[in-house]
Amino acid sequence: MQDLAGHAIDAAVAAGAGYADARVVTRRAQHVATKNGEVDSVSDSETEGIGVRVLVDGAWGFAGDPRLSAEGARDAAMRAVAFARASASRARTRVELVAIPPAEGEYAAIGRRDPVEVPLEEKIALCLRAEEGMRRPEVKITEATVRALREERVLRSSEGASVTQRFVECGAGIDALAVSDDGRVQNRSYPSAHGGSSAQTGWEFVEELGLDREAPRVGEEAAALLSAPACPSGITTIVVDAEQMVLQVHESVGHPTELDRVYGTEAAYAGTSFLKPGDLGSLRYGSEHMNITADPTTSLGLGTFGWDDEGAPARRQPVVEGGVLSGFLASRETAALIGRDLGGSMRADSWSRMPLVRMTNLHLEPGAGSLEDLLADIDDGLYLETNKSWSIDDKRLNFQFGTQVAWEIKNGRLGRMLRDPTYMGVTPEFWGRMDAVAGPEEWRMFGLTNCGKGQPGQHAHVSHGTSPARFRDVQVGVRS
Amino acid sequence: MSRALDLAERAARAAEGDEADVSVHVETSGFARYAASAVHQPTLISDETVTLRVARDGRVGCATTNRTDDEGLAAAARRAAEAADSSPVDPSFPGLQAPAPVPAVEGYDGATAALTPEDQAEAAAEAIAAAPDLGLYGYYTSGVTEIAVASTTGLAVSQAMTDVSVLALAASDDSSGYAEASSWRASDLDPAAVAREAAEKAARTRGAGQIEPQTFRAVLEPYAVSELLFYFGFTSLNALALLEGRSYLSGRVGEKLFHESFTVRDDGLDPVSYPKSFDLEGVPKQPVLMIEGGVARDVVWDRRTAKQAGDGRVSTGHALAPPAQAFGPIPFNLSMAGGDAASADELAELVGDGIYVTRLHYLGVVDPREGIITGMTRDGTFRIEGGKVTTPVVNLRFTTSFPALAAGLLGLTEEVTLVNRSDFYDERYPFGTLVPAVATDSFTVVGTGSGPGL
Repeated sequence: MQDLAGHAIDAAVAAGAGYADARVVTRRAQHVATKNGEVDSVSDSETEGIGVRVLVDGAWGFAGDPRLSAEGARDAAMRAVAFARASASRARTRVELVAIPPAEGEYAAIGRRDPVEVPLEEKIALCLRAEEGMRRPEVKITEATVRALREERVLRSSEGASVTQRFVECGAGIDALAVSDDGRVQNRSYPSAHGGSSAQTGWEFVEELGLDREAPRVGEEAAALLSAPACPSGITTIVVDAEQMVLQVHESVGHPTELDRVYGTEAAYAGTSFLKPGDLGSLRYGSEHMNITADPTTSLGLGTFGWDDEGAPARRQPVVEGGVLSGFLASRETAALIGRDLGGSMRADSWSRMPLVRMTNLHLEPGAGSLEDLLADIDDGLYLETNKSWSIDDKRLNFQFGTQVAWEIKNGRLGRMLRDPTYMGVTPEFWGRMDAVAGPEEWRMFGLTNCGKGQPGQHAHVSHGTSPARFRDVQVGVRS
Repeated sequence: MSRALDLAERAARAAEGDEADVSVHVETSGFARYAASAVHQPTLISDETVTLRVARDGRVGCATTNRTDDEGLAAAARRAAEAADSSPVDPSFPGLQAPAPVPAVEGYDGATAALTPEDQAEAAAEAIAAAPDLGLYGYYTSGVTEIAVASTTGLAVSQAMTDVSVLALAASDDSSGYAEASSWRASDLDPAAVAREAAEKAARTRGAGQIEPQTFRAVLEPYAVSELLFYFGFTSLNALALLEGRSYLSGRVGEKLFHESFTVRDDGLDPVSYPKSFDLEGVPKQPVLMIEGGVARDVVWDRRTAKQAGDGRVSTGHALAPPAQAFGPIPFNLSMAGGDAASADELAELVGDGIYVTRLHYLGVVDPREGIITGMTRDGTFRIEGGKVTTPVVNLRFTTSFPALAAGLLGLTEEVTLVNRSDFYDERYPFGTLVPAVATDSFTVVGTGSGPGL
């Protein structure tokens, strides 16, 4: 694989590229889904190919080819150069890259049991067992999924980078859908909605999730939601659970701090950012309790690597400190534009896509105390659990999120269950209303695999660690 | 024989001894994505994906590969067989599709297929040059997609499709306007005209004002209608959602739920859309009338949901490839009937006082059973006063009932527009909606956001 990448770079440079990098990727992935006690799908997929990225006269070109052969590598390189040359002749500006030392070495995920090698029978049995525990008369649909992935990625560049990285991921989740006789629908999920939670480690992660342990609660809560009262509308104090805080961090901190969005390159699709380059070090993002860190070295994180897809080494970096913007997620190109070394966050979702600025592992740092401590200081409020719906504007300011369930908080204690909760806010105002974050004992990390960006689109796998957090004076119960 | 069909038949032979079907996807595409009037994410993709489904005594397993030499296909067949052996019997598996003739459709244009990276870069440059006073953001893309399905029961069908889209967001710090155009023929598109439409719209958005949230009478351009209709179609016009009680139509088929001018069909054979001859199980495409004069009539079906319904249902040809069938059948060729308005401006006259919406952003389904959708407007939101589109307003947070919007239709344009709905994730598969601009008496705004612009 190293030789193929080198061959592509030689061909690109010979054809006129001023810079070239090549990624050779082989991936194997498995997915098992069961539904209502039957196997819904069992799939085992593999893909391989080479992606070559070049700069010709300061303009980018990229081409991917599935053939792992000298011919495939050369063709990808030549097509990338031709595309870059076609753009370069019309470009008004030249792309510049901040200098980094050439990366060299190997990285490998740590895990005890290779999840791809776990027999499919075992995966299916786990799903069916977990489903069984969710069954209730009101629960019409039970679902369980597990996933496993193994990937080897080689990167070489014309500047001398040469790294080999081996990634392993696995994850799982369960969902219960309850339907009432008059057609109302409610759902509950564990450990996270939208496909469960994943980590970069061995199968032991899935076993430790305890799907069958949690299944009875998930089924019971889905059924109970059918007869729960609706979440009222109003302004109140909310405590957001760790799982929903993942989405809050992802959508209202992660995406707006991507420096390519700040410079507008996602304007037509994912959107831009309310942040400007000059906000670094001065913009008040939230309260003093808000500390956000980008950390591609986090153990088990889906965004953990040795080097990003440009060869920048993994490095922990603050993004928000004490409520003040202190970092961006960057690439070599955007770092050159802002004139700061901000670490590397360039990732591609496959050999056939260009790397983009993506989140790695982006965490809300824990505060102090337990969840009960957060609740204790609330006379009247809501505790919101597990994401259900989400939407945020193109500058990442105005958001409306929904969760699967809310629990009344009365005099510092959790009370009755409420259905269909939603809350909305404006990013810096909302984070400014955060007056407490629970401590390390409540901190959990979730891995999600559905972060979309780019045209053509790419799915990133990212992790977020969060604790439950408390926000004052929030609009809840938005109605159509 | 097409490359895709050759691969499909080779893969089916690799599964010798088993009952198997194969879907193949071959893509060659180019993407000249631009921002701030410069190409910045130019991507050329070439790939072949083979999905092999093996059934052994009612046990089913799938494997996917892009290694298309004999060794790669044989390995995929082994992995699919292992997956089947690992599974319990699947009582919902409907068996393999029997060979059946598929309709001839349009949707392939040799000139579009022949576009080179230089042509794609040139088209992007034409768009950029047409908006000299603003930054242009978007893309020009074209591609060729070959789909084939073959099986050990003798099924062997294939189709080649072309598609081309140009998307333009013309923007400055305080203005932004949007336009796009799509077709399967590049000659139908004028990238410069799309960019000019976006720039002209942007120029009208400067100085956007606030507006009090409420339920408005509104005009929605086809870009906005398309996105709402597709979200509604994905969650409600889908047989799996219907059977599971998650669809707005669950228990309501046969009822008049919408305005009599609201008629929706899915028609893969329509040459004005992205025509499709068969679905990803090889079932011939059938036009499906889903909402007729406001009355819910039907949804789209695949073979698995048809078996599940158990009432003599048959697939309408809307299956995804086997590993993705958990989503249920998808209406990839949604088409909404037009009305008699000559233009969106004429619709504004019907509205009187309200808002005008060009485009939406980041939709989320709050309640699929009730068809409640949230999102933002962007890149061209205006007041309508006295029947005229007047001053710009900031981006608006809406949380609205799509059924209420469709029940409150005041008018529709006669012209319908093909709006691309693919975001080009994973394998390229052209799809879009054919929709008019509409006027409605029910579009609920619950908050306001930032102004137009970057």
